[in-house]
Amino acid sequence: MTRKNKNIAIIGGGHNGLICGSYLAKAGFKVDLYEARSDIGGMASTRELADGYLVPGAAHLLHQIDSGIQKSLKLKQHGLSYAASGLKTISINPKGNALIFDDDNISGDDITLREQDQYKEFKTTMKKLSGFFKRAYQSPPPRLGSEDRKDLSSLMKLGWNLRTMGKDSMRNMLKFIAVNIHDVLNEYFEHEHIKGSIALDALLGNRLGPRTNNSVITYLHQLTGDLNGVQGSYAIPKGGMSSYTQALQKAAESAGVTIHLNSPIKQIDLDSDNKVKGLILENDDTVQADIVVSGIDPRSTFMCLVGAKHLEPTMVHKISNIRMRGNTSKLHLALSGLPVFKGVEPDDMGHRIINAPTMKYLELAHDFTKYGQYSNELPMEIIIPSIHDDTLAPKGRHVLSAIVNNTAYHLKDGWDDSKPKILENCLNQLENMAPGIKKLIVHAELLSPVDFENEYGVTGGHWHHGELTFDQFLMLRPIPGMAQYTSTIESLYLCGAGSHPGGGLMGLAGKNAANEIISRES
Amino acid sequence: MLQQDHYKKSVYKTPFHERTSELNILNEWTRWKDYTVSTNYFRTDLEYFAVRNTTGVIDYTPMVKQKITGPDSDEFVNRFFTRDMKKIAIGRVGYVVWCDEQGQVLDDGTVFHIRENEYWLLCVERQLDNLGIAAIGFDVKIEEITDDVACLGVQGPTSCSILKAMGFEGIEHLKPFDIKHYDFQGQEIMISRTGFSGDLGYEVCMVNEVALNFWDDLFDKGEIYGIHPFGLDALDLVRIEAGLLVPGQDFMVAEDAIRPGSTRSPFELGLSWLVDLSKPVFNGRQALLEEKKRGSRYTFVKLNINGNKPAEGSYLYNQSGKKIGNVTSAMFSPSAKANIAFASLHDPWKKGKDKIVAEIYYQKDLEWNKVMEEATIVTKPFFDPDRKRTTPAELY
Repeated sequence: MTRKNKNIAIIGGGHNGLICGSYLAKAGFKVDLYEARSDIGGMASTRELADGYLVPGAAHLLHQIDSGIQKSLKLKQHGLSYAASGLKTISINPKGNALIFDDDNISGDDITLREQDQYKEFKTTMKKLSGFFKRAYQSPPPRLGSEDRKDLSSLMKLGWNLRTMGKDSMRNMLKFIAVNIHDVLNEYFEHEHIKGSIALDALLGNRLGPRTNNSVITYLHQLTGDLNGVQGSYAIPKGGMSSYTQALQKAAESAGVTIHLNSPIKQIDLDSDNKVKGLILENDDTVQADIVVSGIDPRSTFMCLVGAKHLEPTMVHKISNIRMRGNTSKLHLALSGLPVFKGVEPDDMGHRIINAPTMKYLELAHDFTKYGQYSNELPMEIIIPSIHDDTLAPKGRHVLSAIVNNTAYHLKDGWDDSKPKILENCLNQLENMAPGIKKLIVHAELLSPVDFENEYGVTGGHWHHGELTFDQFLMLRPIPGMAQYTSTIESLYLCGAGSHPGGGLMGLAGKNAANEIISRES
Repeated sequence: MLQQDHYKKSVYKTPFHERTSELNILNEWTRWKDYTVSTNYFRTDLEYFAVRNTTGVIDYTPMVKQKITGPDSDEFVNRFFTRDMKKIAIGRVGYVVWCDEQGQVLDDGTVFHIRENEYWLLCVERQLDNLGIAAIGFDVKIEEITDDVACLGVQGPTSCSILKAMGFEGIEHLKPFDIKHYDFQGQEIMISRTGFSGDLGYEVCMVNEVALNFWDDLFDKGEIYGIHPFGLDALDLVRIEAGLLVPGQDFMVAEDAIRPGSTRSPFELGLSWLVDLSKPVFNGRQALLEEKKRGSRYTFVKLNINGNKPAEGSYLYNQSGKKIGNVTSAMFSPSAKANIAFASLHDPWKKGKDKIVAEIYYQKDLEWNKVMEEATIVTKPFFDPDRKRTTPAELY
């Protein structure tokens, strides 16, 4: 059978599914993509908050988009442009002294020259380390214990990448890889506000505190992203978050992918030998496919669509133990005017504002999470995209989008009871940061991890389809023995963030999966 | 319910202990899981001959027993075990093995398909954990009932006569691996034509409350049929003759193994007949398919060794003195009149080409001697009388 007459069905129209589909269609496969929702994009899409107010549904900043993907899928031609890029990070604190992070420079909050140098040194070291990951992200991780030439060569490449980092970086890598960001930051800095601000980058989207081991990996992972060649840089796409996935949609369609919206999948159809036959849709329509690629999370893929009964028990055990308890909520506000944050210059309001005054603050917030409770003081990442893009709100009005961390998926009192209280807490926190903001609120909503699970189908409402920690990393992602985007079901592949190299909007899981499928199936 | 007071008792006494301790005139006991049981009652060889010539009774209450119930039971057992479980009909017992993900044997045992949606698994090692993991996604309930059920093996040529004399009507019509439920003093007991002796024999499972009465009635009716208790030492002799494996002796339980290569797949234990690779899924299937393609590392064989010195633990060599394996169980078989053994062979042994020579050490008046004895491979069980299969069972 040649590529041309092999049918591929992709489940899920998130960015990874779209990217994977585009590469596969370009390689000559016949690709159909099924999306459960009425629009494309999954967690990278735009959501109508109130009449005339548009907010990013989940992810609200672009960073980590692989430049290779941008180029080869011609995303610019397909309409991706930035309303703002190279965003600064402004870390506010209760005293009103904001710290400003502009690439490798910091200023504000009584920063000394020495601390500025320390920050530069820190960033240089960390960028070098994250470079190791960046290279590893570009290809499927090797299978351990395999004697396949390809696996051996990619294992050697991993080792070589580590070796060529130089003695100091190699030493740092071994020293930092398994420890926590708290200890590392204490080694570099004394300034509590700097430490808190950097630590937030390691924790956002994950269920970690600064003192939790593995939080260095998550920091380095976050740093791997580059935008326009600037590592760890942030941007806001023009026309809302959907414009990123809409550009991907156009790229996919022009490559020949057929996209089916409103097509939730009930089941992956298997024959009596457990080989993929196709898909069964929620409306009981069946679709024949030679290959199925799942862009949704591994737990939903295997436990819901394949079913435990079709998998070996040990596999089921491993899949049901993937750590993917979501910890992140989204706060959306429609505002009748532009709020003023304490210590933030009016011109800087369009940048990335974070609330992470100290590491202790973050650790305390995590302590509540551990016991199924929530702190009254939650870490946040806030943006006001309407400053850069007037299509998002009526004239003179604004939308605010905040990622609120440390809101556990499993709350002791349940989300139904807790949600109004957490929302109220968040608004009170914001009122402290930006006095008067409450009066500007036209509409407010909080989306919990449970809402994300219901809305986007991702287990546990986990943004990264599984914690990005060392035990769920590289060849161990999503589970040991199922790396390289394949599964134990013949002709079923994974291309979502649950696979190497993981979450964020980078899209490399989709691209790597496509390459793997192309090399295995033609 | 499992008993929860280990810390007070160290080991439990089985429900038959009052009787077994009277009969155990050697006072020789060993620990089997949570219980103490007799290794010998009066003389190993005489206990052995009781099983072979009349009837021997063994208390095997410590055997781990797990109950699987619920609407998905059929599907559950078919995915847990390597063989096609659909062939084990209600009222039948099947010999089974099950594997880990690498296709290595975790344990062997017998599955009793008691009634619709109810199976019992009897085996050596506790399996609650493995069964529980395998139950994810299935509507089944898994319980361990080891402490709730008392079990006796009634094995030997006159066993059927004794049970018939006890009033169990139609017991002789049970085919090998059949199960039948009877009433005993108002309690349901389960008799199956199964056992570990390779001869005509039955296993009886009952609630603890009737255990002593059953024992008394059994020994009362059995006296004229030559009934005797037998311990674990005699059991080991009859099971080798019958060609039956013991986990922890003939193969490493995969979960307990430390060294790679020390575990065995079902193919490497001569149990390919228990593996149905045409089933779409069971634990270890992928690995076993690969082993099928690649070839196995070990070959399990039954050996008939020259001479009369048991080859316990012997190394095996080929004609050029290269080590090709080792013996896992060995004895001189009084019934087969042969020096028999189980062995695991590996490279460079070539089937049909290489000789097998056992290096046997034995003691003469404290002094160790060594002989090198040639061995031949035997394909049938060493002891395999027709009465094992004849139905209706013969009444001696």
